[in-house]
Amino acid sequence: MNRLYPSRHIAEFRRIFQDPVLFIGLVLVVIFVLIAILSPIYAMVDESRTPDGQELFDRYLNSPVYRTIIVNTLRMGLIVAALGTALGFLLAYVQVKVDVPFKRLIHIVALIPIISPPFALATAVLILFGRNGMITQGWFGVRYDIYGLDGLSLVLTLSYFTVAYMNLKGMLQALDPALDEAATNLGASKWRIFRTVTVPMLIPGIAGSFLLLFVEAIADLGNPLVMGGNYEVLSTRIYVSIVGLYNTTAAAVLSVILLVPSLLVFIVQRYWISRTSVVSITGKPSGVSQQIRHPLVRWPLFAVVMFVVLFILLIYGTIFAGAFTKILNVNNELTLDHFDFVINGYGSEAMKDTTQLAAIATPLAGLLGMIIAFLVARKTFLGRNALDFATMLGIAVPGTILGIGYLLVFNQPNEITLPLVGTIEIIPKLTGGRAIFGGAGAIVLVYVVRSVPAALRSGVAALSQIDPAIEEASISLGADNFRTFMRITLPLIRPAFLSGLIYAFARSMTTISAIIFLTTPRTKIMTHQILNEVENGRYGNAFAYCVILIAIVLVAIGVLSIAVGTTSGAERTMEGGA
Amino acid sequence: MKRLSLVVFCLMIVVAVAPVVTPAPAQVQAQEDTLTVLCTPQEDWCVAMTQAFEEETGIETSYVRMSSGESLARIRATQDDPEFSVWWGGPADAFIAAYEEDLIEPYEPELASVLAPNAVGVDHSWHGVYVGALGFCSNISFLEELGIDPPTSWDDLLDPALKSNVAMAHPATSGTAFTAFWTIVTLKADEFEAAEEGTGYDEDGMPTQEAIDAAFEYYSELHQNILQYTRSGAAPGQMAGTGEIAVAIIFSHDCVKLQVEGFEGVVVNTFPEEGTGYEIGGMALIKNAPEPEAAKMWIEWALSPEAQVIGQDVNSLQLPTNPDTPVSELSVNLSEVNLVDYNFVAAGMNRVEIVERFDADIAPQPTE
Repeated sequence: MNRLYPSRHIAEFRRIFQDPVLFIGLVLVVIFVLIAILSPIYAMVDESRTPDGQELFDRYLNSPVYRTIIVNTLRMGLIVAALGTALGFLLAYVQVKVDVPFKRLIHIVALIPIISPPFALATAVLILFGRNGMITQGWFGVRYDIYGLDGLSLVLTLSYFTVAYMNLKGMLQALDPALDEAATNLGASKWRIFRTVTVPMLIPGIAGSFLLLFVEAIADLGNPLVMGGNYEVLSTRIYVSIVGLYNTTAAAVLSVILLVPSLLVFIVQRYWISRTSVVSITGKPSGVSQQIRHPLVRWPLFAVVMFVVLFILLIYGTIFAGAFTKILNVNNELTLDHFDFVINGYGSEAMKDTTQLAAIATPLAGLLGMIIAFLVARKTFLGRNALDFATMLGIAVPGTILGIGYLLVFNQPNEITLPLVGTIEIIPKLTGGRAIFGGAGAIVLVYVVRSVPAALRSGVAALSQIDPAIEEASISLGADNFRTFMRITLPLIRPAFLSGLIYAFARSMTTISAIIFLTTPRTKIMTHQILNEVENGRYGNAFAYCVILIAIVLVAIGVLSIAVGTTSGAERTMEGGA
Repeated sequence: MKRLSLVVFCLMIVVAVAPVVTPAPAQVQAQEDTLTVLCTPQEDWCVAMTQAFEEETGIETSYVRMSSGESLARIRATQDDPEFSVWWGGPADAFIAAYEEDLIEPYEPELASVLAPNAVGVDHSWHGVYVGALGFCSNISFLEELGIDPPTSWDDLLDPALKSNVAMAHPATSGTAFTAFWTIVTLKADEFEAAEEGTGYDEDGMPTQEAIDAAFEYYSELHQNILQYTRSGAAPGQMAGTGEIAVAIIFSHDCVKLQVEGFEGVVVNTFPEEGTGYEIGGMALIKNAPEPEAAKMWIEWALSPEAQVIGQDVNSLQLPTNPDTPVSELSVNLSEVNLVDYNFVAAGMNRVEIVERFDADIAPQPTE
């Protein structure tokens, strides 16, 4: 990241102008970011700055009740971040560094939460450990009140630890074993190596995961709605403001209060932590790491990990069982009614609509992510970092905030008045049942906005592994940027493209907080329907929805993997390399 | 080569963007062959009604199910370009509030004449389609565990033994919960009026501010026993059914529905002896509706006995407002219940203020 002299900026821009396709690509990307990400956030912040809003700020920040709510939210975030990071670290460490059996199972189970809908876990936990829980009441005879902070911590930890797991696993795998070997040669015990070599090198990863989990936890809406009890948090208050009172100003004020910690955390993570990466000297491992074999270490760790794995399997097993029984724990008769409802009944509309919209958003997000990654990683121009930052805002900002922002900006057509032409509509009404596509436009846009950041990061990571010399060779042979991108870059970063697509589809299918305010009569979204069913206690239907949703995501992953292909042909260059 | 790819690229963009940018007049014309219903009762009843209407008239009918308060908020939010044409179901209080805000349009259906006077809104702004009484739906074995009897009074709910074991919905989103709130307002007003004339009701027959404040006091106390405020009115019943809580404050017909649908012998339905509130489920034409003709057809049809009996097929056992409709024997017999003299107009006019105050002062309070 060099600081460019002004003359270089200008020179770079001139170079971009010369390639019209690149220029248009850049312009389109910038327009997308401005319209789809920045304007809703701006509109929401603006709404909170009205005189009514100022008054509400005063009221909320001074009222002891709301102070408690803010503290509650932050406390929950910290607990979940700590537990989730610890859990992710444990699993990642055991997976990479300890010699235990069933590694594949552990890996798969750790990934399940990504493809499962938000309150699947919460509902199953209620049934197992609630007041009349199958385990708490059934086995132990204890009426445990799982509503509130303890239930939320458990469920949010299990929902989000996968991110920490993936992060830390990647970092652990990239650790240079040469350092371990050097330490061993110098006489250090394994424990000392762990303490003084491994962990310090992982601190950026641990801190990064911690912060990421914190943001996800405070932004989560589905789980507090289902099992928050009287532990009030900001996201549920925002929800009631819009859905019960349609007080957009109050919602905007609360959203800004929620936005502040999220943005702070995001900025800290980006500018401080990712710069102090101390993974290894050369960036590429130069050997195979030795796995720990000592029985006193292996087996206890294995026991703990297997406990976690079995726990997760128990919960998903409950979901599965609940989908096939009439009313789990009350009437355990087997039935296919719930599936009938989802596939044939009025649930089928939600199933089709959601899958269609996610399917439209996925290639858009994947492609956009790769294009922005290309621009950010390969080209230098004024505002490159700003573009990166703005795109990442799509996921840094809590989903509810994005939803409200969209309501504010796209609830009426956006017009500009030009001197000679008159008023023309540049963006039609996108939200609400009377909008074009019946409101689906806003939903697809939100899906894309929420998925592009991951595709971007994945693309940037992949591009940084590839020597630009290949692309330069292509250009010097006469191909323009477009052709180079399509025929050289894209195939080389295929694994990143694929993971971007998979993530986009999974995320779009399972998101709730961003779209909960945007559903309309013509667009029924599965996660919203699941919430309806759970809130009305129709757990059987909710579980059937979950099972089908997971099945759809798995099928999509399969289809995408086959269509895009998992190899890039660049493996040898990446592993060998100087 | 470069020029060509540029031209192709530009064409692609134009083709992609053009259908979006050119105005779509198709959206604006009133569609005679579709109907979008805003439906407040339980979802299966919504499905049954819309399917029956579609069969009867051939009009393609779709609905969205939203609780009473949510519906009002949604109509208010989209009043410049309504998404729905007819609003069906949910307590009349919300309809009165909607008429106050000029969100619904009066329309007099033929069968309005067979309805009882209190089931017809002022200026024919709304019409009643069903009636139901508020009650307590309790989990029998949970109550046994706690060693208390099923509640027969509002004060029974304040029993410390029921701490975190009561649930009701949030009045902002749910009509059921709002009815529960206004019931207490009415009871307090009656109490004050009996003690000293003029302190309970003002000259227009509306409960006084003192009565409303007293109701807030009651709910402040009850809040300590509430586990969670749900979004929809009937949801606490499910919580009682699965044994998550002991007592749910819901409409009695929702409790009967649970008993019929798998929770027989699990929950028991009781009423407060000092008096309980009731709802008249309303129905209205939304102002500036996109499909006004179809909406009017629905309004006519929904008052007919054939339409009103559909609820019984899905175990929605409210009492129909059309006296010619056969009544299920499972429905609660309202003559056996002590109903308060619920003033719908006063309730509707105070709705917004009460709901906001509840959300600000009571709902977010921490419990000890």
